[in-house]
Amino acid sequence: MNGTDLVALGPLLALGAAAVVTLLSIAVRRHQRATATIAGLGLVAAACALPAAADVAPRQVTALVRIDDFALLYIGLFLAAAFATIVLAHDDLRRRAEPHREEFHVLVLLSTLGACVLATSTHFASFFLGLETSSVALYALIAYPRSGPAHAEAGLKYLLLAGASSAFLLFGMALVYADLGALSFDGFAAALLAGRGTPALVWPALALVVAGASFKLAVAPFHMWVPDVYQGAPAPVTGFLATVSKGAVLAALLRLFVALGGVERPVVVWTFGALAVTSMLAGNLLALSQRSLKRLLACSSVAHLGYVLVAFLAAAPVALEAVTWYLVAYFVTTLAAFGVVTVLAGGDREADALDDYRGLFWRRPWLAALLTGCLLSLAGIPLTAGFLAKFYALAAGTSEARWALVVALVVNSALSAFYYLRVVVAMAAPAPAAAPARRVPLGAGVLLAVLALLLVGLGVYPAALTALIRATATALS
Amino acid sequence: MNESYVSLLVLAAVALGLGTVILMLNGLLGPSKPTASKLDTFETGNEPEGDARQRFSIRFYLVAILFILFDIEVVFLFPWAVLFKDYVAAGLGTFMFVEMAVFVGILAIGLAYVWRKGALEWD
Repeated sequence: MNGTDLVALGPLLALGAAAVVTLLSIAVRRHQRATATIAGLGLVAAACALPAAADVAPRQVTALVRIDDFALLYIGLFLAAAFATIVLAHDDLRRRAEPHREEFHVLVLLSTLGACVLATSTHFASFFLGLETSSVALYALIAYPRSGPAHAEAGLKYLLLAGASSAFLLFGMALVYADLGALSFDGFAAALLAGRGTPALVWPALALVVAGASFKLAVAPFHMWVPDVYQGAPAPVTGFLATVSKGAVLAALLRLFVALGGVERPVVVWTFGALAVTSMLAGNLLALSQRSLKRLLACSSVAHLGYVLVAFLAAAPVALEAVTWYLVAYFVTTLAAFGVVTVLAGGDREADALDDYRGLFWRRPWLAALLTGCLLSLAGIPLTAGFLAKFYALAAGTSEARWALVVALVVNSALSAFYYLRVVVAMAAPAPAAAPARRVPLGAGVLLAVLALLLVGLGVYPAALTALIRATATALS
Repeated sequence: MNESYVSLLVLAAVALGLGTVILMLNGLLGPSKPTASKLDTFETGNEPEGDARQRFSIRFYLVAILFILFDIEVVFLFPWAVLFKDYVAAGLGTFMFVEMAVFVGILAIGLAYVWRKGALEWD
């Protein structure tokens, strides 16, 4: 460990220090705005450490983490998403008037730190550590409001299922170690390629790791927890859970499977292909009958992870580019959608039921337009970020001539348009009795405007992001 | 399969089988003459009194959690202290010292936080 290593680890160290400083500031004095500012500055400081880290990248720091452009891009993405979460949560926490609102920010920072470690991990130990740091903070975040039993129920459900999935992951890692004596991704891959693995141990081990990761990604058939947890968690946390925690696991999986020499083996392709098709179908069919917007977005996220897996299955450079593009578009869209849900909350309840959105175009035209944009982006309509993301996934699927997956993707996109448009139709319906509207706070308003610009900007002018992602994709493969 | 695991499997099978067989033989062969006091909850040979479900102060839970937290700190400190001389000999003394100082420092901040929050006050 020398100076260069510390520079490379800068973003992670800054994030960890930010969490500690935020905790100290709460011990000194409780003040929600001050705590939120300190946490936000911590995220900015971590982002400022990114260019310095990029100068020394790629660099392997200990056997556990590797700081390269791929990791730094994902860290930047997570930092931005965490920042958006803190801005949205500021509004949400003030509305709820909970007694202990300040600790929320510490938990967000810690969960983000875990996600960043996941994106850099090249070793099963750091994989597991990052995953646990990220999830343990999330249990508390989901159950944060103490106003009703729904939040505690969602938190408990996530705790139990995430605990079970961690057990799967650990068992898989233990089998890998028992058979090959290696825990680093590269060592694992080298031992496999040298033919040292016992098939009866290695394949169950990989299956267990994939099953554990699929729980976190909420890929069908491991998706049962998603609707309840999405609905029970406060809207900003739901956005965070949908983006950062899933993106981090996907980044770690990408690293693992790129190290394993791509996903050429037919077993792997069949497994992930089956997961992709079942989650597209399950997500979209479940979403058809939902009467709650948060549950609808939850089911749609299951389908979207299915689309991402189609991109995941392509050859390494194409897969990296397509998955990363998809994730960026998905982050922007999901954060914007849950941002709208957050600011529409009024009194002591969130705007969750579809009926809350009836006639929204006439009451809150800007918010309704933004939510429409998000839904169109999720459906993959041109001129939005979601269209290009889906286009990338399709291109990745056709590049390997996986026609079954491509057909499933197209059919499911058409299916999904139905329920997205149903929400849009409800928003355009004549308005019922006018409810007193809460003003959108300044911070959340600016954030939503930026997200709206990105949503359309990425759809109209994708070249800048593509160039950035292409530069980082070469770092990994 | 690795041969050395077979003995473990045999051990597990014998342990399970022995337990099952003995318990089943007990039920089949043993005489059964239940009386009221035999069927009652066993409480050190005395007549059971009161309900086992009692209310505990929730503070026990907090204290227990804090105890585990700082107990684990000692678990990490102990091997570090034992091996510290070897690290110094290997030229890693400063590094290991700073590492542990960071670890203990973060825990100290945690202690300051729970203290300040009043989690250590009983009333």
